[in-house]
Amino acid sequence: MALVLKRTDMKELAQIYDRISMCTQCGNCKYGYEYGPTENFAAMLCPQGDKYQFEAYRGSKGKAALAKGLLSGMIQWSDKAAHVIYTCIGCGACVEMCETDIKDYLLRMFEALKSETWKQNVAIPEGVRKWSSTIRENRNPYLEKHENRLDWLPASIRETLPKKAEYIYFVGCTASYRQKNIALATVKLLQKLKVDFTVVPDEWCCASPLLRTGQYDVAKEFIEHNKELPEKYGASAFITTCAGCYRTLSIDYQKDPPEGYTDKFGKANFKVIHTIQLVEDMIKKGEIEFEGSFNNVVTYHDPCHLGRHAKVYDSPRNVLQAIPGLKLVEMYRSKKFSFCCGAGGGVRGGYPDYSIETAIKRVREAESTGASVITCVCPFCWRNLSDAISALKSSMKMMDITEILEPIVKKK
Amino acid sequence: MARGNKEVLAKLEQIVGPDYVSNEEAVLLPYSWDLTWAEPRMPDYVVMPKTVTEIQRILRLANHLRIPVIPYVNATNIGGLCIPEEGGIVMDLKRMDRIIKIDPETCYAIIEPGVSHAQLSATLKATNPQWEGYEFSKGFEFGWGVHPASASVLAMAINHGIGHLNGRIGINSQLISSMEVVLPTGEVVKLGSCAFSDSWHSFLPLPRMDGLFVGWMGTTGIVTKLGIWIFPIRPYKDVLTIAAETAHDMTRYMVHWRHYSLCDEVTAVSWWLAQIPIPYPYQEKPKDAPEWFSYTVISGWSEEELEYKRKMWKKVVEEERARGTKLIDFEYPPEAKRGRTELPSRIVGSTKNYSKSCGGGLAWPGTFAPCKSWPILYEKWKEIYIRHNLSPAVRFTDFQGAHYGMLRLMTPFDKRDPDSVRRAKEAMVECVRVGIPLGMLPYKPPVEYVNELNAAADAGYVYLMAKIKDMLDPNNIMNPGKLGIR
Repeated sequence: MALVLKRTDMKELAQIYDRISMCTQCGNCKYGYEYGPTENFAAMLCPQGDKYQFEAYRGSKGKAALAKGLLSGMIQWSDKAAHVIYTCIGCGACVEMCETDIKDYLLRMFEALKSETWKQNVAIPEGVRKWSSTIRENRNPYLEKHENRLDWLPASIRETLPKKAEYIYFVGCTASYRQKNIALATVKLLQKLKVDFTVVPDEWCCASPLLRTGQYDVAKEFIEHNKELPEKYGASAFITTCAGCYRTLSIDYQKDPPEGYTDKFGKANFKVIHTIQLVEDMIKKGEIEFEGSFNNVVTYHDPCHLGRHAKVYDSPRNVLQAIPGLKLVEMYRSKKFSFCCGAGGGVRGGYPDYSIETAIKRVREAESTGASVITCVCPFCWRNLSDAISALKSSMKMMDITEILEPIVKKK
Repeated sequence: MARGNKEVLAKLEQIVGPDYVSNEEAVLLPYSWDLTWAEPRMPDYVVMPKTVTEIQRILRLANHLRIPVIPYVNATNIGGLCIPEEGGIVMDLKRMDRIIKIDPETCYAIIEPGVSHAQLSATLKATNPQWEGYEFSKGFEFGWGVHPASASVLAMAINHGIGHLNGRIGINSQLISSMEVVLPTGEVVKLGSCAFSDSWHSFLPLPRMDGLFVGWMGTTGIVTKLGIWIFPIRPYKDVLTIAAETAHDMTRYMVHWRHYSLCDEVTAVSWWLAQIPIPYPYQEKPKDAPEWFSYTVISGWSEEELEYKRKMWKKVVEEERARGTKLIDFEYPPEAKRGRTELPSRIVGSTKNYSKSCGGGLAWPGTFAPCKSWPILYEKWKEIYIRHNLSPAVRFTDFQGAHYGMLRLMTPFDKRDPDSVRRAKEAMVECVRVGIPLGMLPYKPPVEYVNELNAAADAGYVYLMAKIKDMLDPNNIMNPGKLGIR
């Protein structure tokens, strides 16, 4: 039987069926692996497969099979299909392993599958439905009021920020409403480094949670709004401390498919840098002086949205290695073979137990390095890993790199 | 949508726990097909046991209720072996993924079915051959094939999979040293030296009862533990390459070279298989391109040993040229050499060569055949394939032992197109049909090839096979439909 495309009404999937059909179901995607004269790596990288085990949940093979099955009419939509689709975190580990021509389209396929679920009568996770129902009103997925977005920013700092500046610090929803420690550390850090930046009251969610859960129509409003901000504030670039915002602003807003969504939302054209890249650049130019040290063994967790999605692996490591007293140790699964914290893709809201279970696996791996601190550059990873540390009653401490840097740096 | 019935589901849940059994179509779907043109068949349940006891209980239940059971790990066999012809329970063995033991002195490993090539190769590479604490060299290896690293080592070995040491030590089923099996009726048996002690080193000098479970495609029991020989990694390696105009000349060279038993592997590929991707549909070969390209991997313990092998290889090439064999010099790109000396490889083991040009279908007439028949069969296969608008992407590999080996034809096709699927299937079945009288035997065969085999088989062969199957599996629950006899 041939897998003939029959359900052309599933437009998001049907339009990439040529690519989906290129998945041979070989299963390369199900396990991380590298072998050679110097390489010898083998480990499970797919959090979803690690948890749910069945083929449908492992790597991209299962989701490609589901897409083919739905498009060809072999199977019908069901709550279980939605479960397979929504428990995928979109971490991109399978993309690293795939060698066929579906590779570049895998993340798009996962999101297209989620997009189609909104048109079907299936069980989208309640947590996702909940924040989705209020995000238009609140401009954030945390059910918080938009007018409180800058509550984290002390008036004493706010007064010092210019109305217009070279950079807009795009704080992101998690740092604005939850990990305020990271937002505050970032602002203090940028001020100490004498960066010309401002924070804007009309920043809306970058749309990452909407895109990652396939809610394209809602995402459009957010993207169109945020696109206007640089011009409005005379800025040439966004600075982010959130890996999710970084990926969304730099890739989804700006790159053509399959990486980005310019086919849906048009093309934005502004620079996006992550705080860690800015700091790395200043260190390289000799513009930063360390006033103190950080005498701890530290392990770095690669956020999927900054690492595998945006290929930023070295900047955080270069910065960490420049910090006096800090000893950096790597987890076995790192860089392109990192293991996700379990928060993304709507999973933290949709399946909190599975999300935290995944983070616990990551913290256990971090513990095995002998480090006392886990660091990362993503407030969302910070939250999940921090919750896992609490759940485990681990002695490890969670810190964003900005939190390590801020107390001990100054501009030369 | 759910399949099967609630009572059976509840019983399976009692055995393995509710997290490891499902009858939901969205979960069952990936178990219903593979890369090939084999007709998809939906199982009714998938169950993921962790222990031998759980397997015993599942098989007893299946026997009681006469439900088919299909063993499964990764299903990359390119033969539809794991497709449930009659529905039933797919037994996914991935959770049984322990490397139970590596004995670096006696040189064997004991593995469970879920152990992947990735897992085993990483562990073996980090284990050093030794005796009484004295380490001879660095790292072990097994016969690594050209397949995804997630593929099961055990499943590959018991289904006559091909490893990269096939020219030196044989194919992977020849490297099995002991096994534990759960019979279809639920009893656990040990075969080989492990039946008498904790040592899993050998089947010899016992009767080879492992033959009841090797090459039977999961129709006679569930192999739950496998002892395999492991081999020290030789630190010096090289890849030597030569091309030829005809299959006849290439075969002449390969047989002559393998005669000296100096290589780990000698393989030739037709022009169409050397292309990335394999052209689909058929494209004519450029007139000035050789039709055959070969590589041979040599290894050794020193540069001197390697140099000796290079000299012997050159001597073979010169002698063949002197007797009129037309051999053409060509060099492998470094990346291709890496691919041959650094197996298992996620890149070489992937299917990228086959999927680029069309919609994800991949199948083969994968066969063992005497070298004498290769050139004859190649011409026949070429004619069949061109007639079906497919590229004759053929591979020869001369195995250790008699001059016989792999003759196979990698075939991409478009799974979106019913006509493409039909043509691929018809061409491959025809290739098998013309090959059997010339000594060719399909391995990991789809049902259609088995039917061709049975039609040509000696009556006694089929009679004994049926008798053994009936003896071991009286209710015919194990992967029914695959042997073409019950």
